[in-house]
Amino acid sequence: MSRKIIPFVVAFVLICLVMAVSGLFAFSGVVTAEKFGSDMVWSQPYSTAESMNVINVMGDDQDELFIQNTTNVSVYDGSGATLFSQDYQYPKTTLGDINADGMEDIVVFYLGDLGYSVDTIVNGEKSTLTESLNIGLPARVAIIRFPPGDQIVLGDSSGNLLSLSLDGQPLWSYSVGSEEIRGMDDARIGGAIHLAAASHSGALAVLDSEGKAIWTTSQEQLRRMRAFDLNGDGNSEVITGGEYGALYIYSAADGNTIFNSSLGQAVSEVREVELNGDPSSREIVVGGKDGGVWAFSNTGNQLWSGSLSDKVTEISGIDINGDGKEEAVIGAESGEVAIFSGTGSRNNLKTHSTPITRIDVGKLGNERYVIIADGNEVQVHKASFSSIPGFQYTPIIVGVIVSAVILVIAAILTSIPKKPELKASFQDKSKESLEAERRMLKESIADVERLRKSGEVTGDAYLARLKRLRRDLADNEAAFKAAGFPIKVETIQCPNCGGTLELGMDKCEYCGQVLLS
Amino acid sequence: METFLCAGVALLVVALILFFYLLNTARKKVTPSTNIASKKDLLPVYLSLADKPESIIQGMEKLKANVQKTETAGDKWRWVPLIIFFGGVGLILIDLVFDVLGYFSLIFTAGGIALWIAAIVMARSLRKSDSQDFPPRYNGTKKILHTLRDDLRPGSTFLGHLDLTGSLLPTKVARTAKDSQDRTTEYFRDEWLALKAKLYDGNILRISAIQKSKKRKSYWKRSRISGKMKMKPEKYKGSEQDLKVRIVVNPELYKIESSSPTFKQGLNVGKFTISQLSTDGGIINFVANSPFEEVEHENILSILQSAYALLKRKAAT
Repeated sequence: MSRKIIPFVVAFVLICLVMAVSGLFAFSGVVTAEKFGSDMVWSQPYSTAESMNVINVMGDDQDELFIQNTTNVSVYDGSGATLFSQDYQYPKTTLGDINADGMEDIVVFYLGDLGYSVDTIVNGEKSTLTESLNIGLPARVAIIRFPPGDQIVLGDSSGNLLSLSLDGQPLWSYSVGSEEIRGMDDARIGGAIHLAAASHSGALAVLDSEGKAIWTTSQEQLRRMRAFDLNGDGNSEVITGGEYGALYIYSAADGNTIFNSSLGQAVSEVREVELNGDPSSREIVVGGKDGGVWAFSNTGNQLWSGSLSDKVTEISGIDINGDGKEEAVIGAESGEVAIFSGTGSRNNLKTHSTPITRIDVGKLGNERYVIIADGNEVQVHKASFSSIPGFQYTPIIVGVIVSAVILVIAAILTSIPKKPELKASFQDKSKESLEAERRMLKESIADVERLRKSGEVTGDAYLARLKRLRRDLADNEAAFKAAGFPIKVETIQCPNCGGTLELGMDKCEYCGQVLLS
Repeated sequence: METFLCAGVALLVVALILFFYLLNTARKKVTPSTNIASKKDLLPVYLSLADKPESIIQGMEKLKANVQKTETAGDKWRWVPLIIFFGGVGLILIDLVFDVLGYFSLIFTAGGIALWIAAIVMARSLRKSDSQDFPPRYNGTKKILHTLRDDLRPGSTFLGHLDLTGSLLPTKVARTAKDSQDRTTEYFRDEWLALKAKLYDGNILRISAIQKSKKRKSYWKRSRISGKMKMKPEKYKGSEQDLKVRIVVNPELYKIESSSPTFKQGLNVGKFTISQLSTDGGIINFVANSPFEEVEHENILSILQSAYALLKRKAAT
């Protein structure tokens, strides 16, 4: 192929490749220019929140901000004014409707003057439900809506569970291992609600309304346990995160393992997030002690992974850009707050100076806000989102620029003439000239032989010179034949190395090949 | 953040290296590379001569012009790779602007890197069009042929070769020798010019210009002080020029004088000293040596002219 064409062929192939990659990026939708931001609306001093929720707990028609830490339970209105505040010792809280008025109430499990007690806060009015309970230091509390009736289930730091009726009467007790209860959630089996509970020792149990185990299992020490109906089939999935990185998804119905994986670091948080916008399934986002972040589908397929610089302390699913898909807003012990989109691309919000403890989203007043609690305060932010329209087509522009440059280079390289051959032969084709050249070559061959005999030239130099002269002699014979002049052929070619030899030789001087001609 | 900073620093280092590489390509080379004999590397040319003088001279000029044309064509686009490089920098800066505005984008950076790769490919291709200088012997030989062209028998041709591929090629090792310390010395014999011509006066002239060089090969030696084995590099030990001339004299026109005060053994003619001279059998054979590494064409022509002092034209009958 002509050297004028080859650069263009190569350029064409490269351009096709570049444009194919550009098209792939442009039309797959992975290239976006999106920016998430937040502006703080108000803040209140509140250290190290353990539980936080935007919910209507005051019985009005507005949501409030409920927040609880290790010493206090408070409720703020939409503008940050304190509606309720009560100090407790070792409080653990849960939210649920305990008086059947259709409004959420607060249940506090704490250490009171008369031992471990349970308070209820209904529309901002505190009342003690029960006292002197036979249970240890509060670890978890949950209102479980068992089919026969709602129960308040308390969990302590020794793995004990105690169930109370809504009027405070003990119903049953159960022991899940011997260490702190690390997860207590309602789990559906065939649509009916059961209790899933797990302790730090690794023991896990699903119990019915009478405190009888449907199934139990144990694994490595646990940090987190949550139950979600990820695929909406009426049977929940129980997700556990281990102290040494084991992530399990169990079927709540029978305890069978649906999926397990080792993440290589302790699992510090697990949450469900609607990452893909498909309401028939929920995705889970897992955070690690060393900052790892993973997103999994409901069947356990890993969707993406990322990382923060420190232990993930909170994960929350928030649809910031209003596209029907939730973004995972993730807080870390370093104070970082990052937003991971459904594809795993990351945007950072302003970093806090103390560890992030809780993140939630909700409507306070007429606006939706992102509420972030850190080691010192709780901040209410207005989240913002902006994107550059049409940015997804920039790969095509870049591809066209690169392709144009490739084409220009090909054109320039084609315009440069080929470097001339530096071994040239100036040969007159007349018979006299060819005969004279032949004589000269034979004289030169005789000269080389003479030099060899005299010892002036030996070895490779002799052979190299002889080879070149013989080749010139063969060229001379070829020129004779081409011009139609009679010539007595005196050379042959070695079939092995291609070197020119004198006719009649029985062994190639250059490669040692035996010749049978 | 640290990851991005590291990637940014790495990209900056790559950009700097690439910039200086392309700048070096864009500039015309001022200092040519040198070989073991500390001589600059020259264009390796081999010409087979079997044609009339005008054709050979024209062919030699054309070859030189073609090499020059390729080089000039390459020179014209020398700065283009650097321009493409800056185009790539521009694309990367667009991403930087997006990042400053709070958007994350790498697509322009990818395009920029693609342009950098294209710039490297183009720079390397342009380098291929660069040529070393033609050896001085190329022009010298052309002048010899030009001078002798009118002395050639009408219709006849020059025969021989001009081999300027290098005097220290492995194929030009004539012999090797070892000294008492087991060091190998290579003796090179480079017959760079062989020329045969039938002259107008009926004489036949054969010229053979040979450069003889010596090079000691590299070897390992144990240090007397530290006891460590050290490799001594190969060493160029110098070279000299031999000029072998044979004139078969036309007996009808000339009578050979056995000696001449202007041409005798031991006489210096230009850079050459005549070391052997024989006029037996109607043939003048002489060898002239020169300790110089380079002999100019004037020296070769003047010794040929001097050799004619041995010839005495016979009186016309």
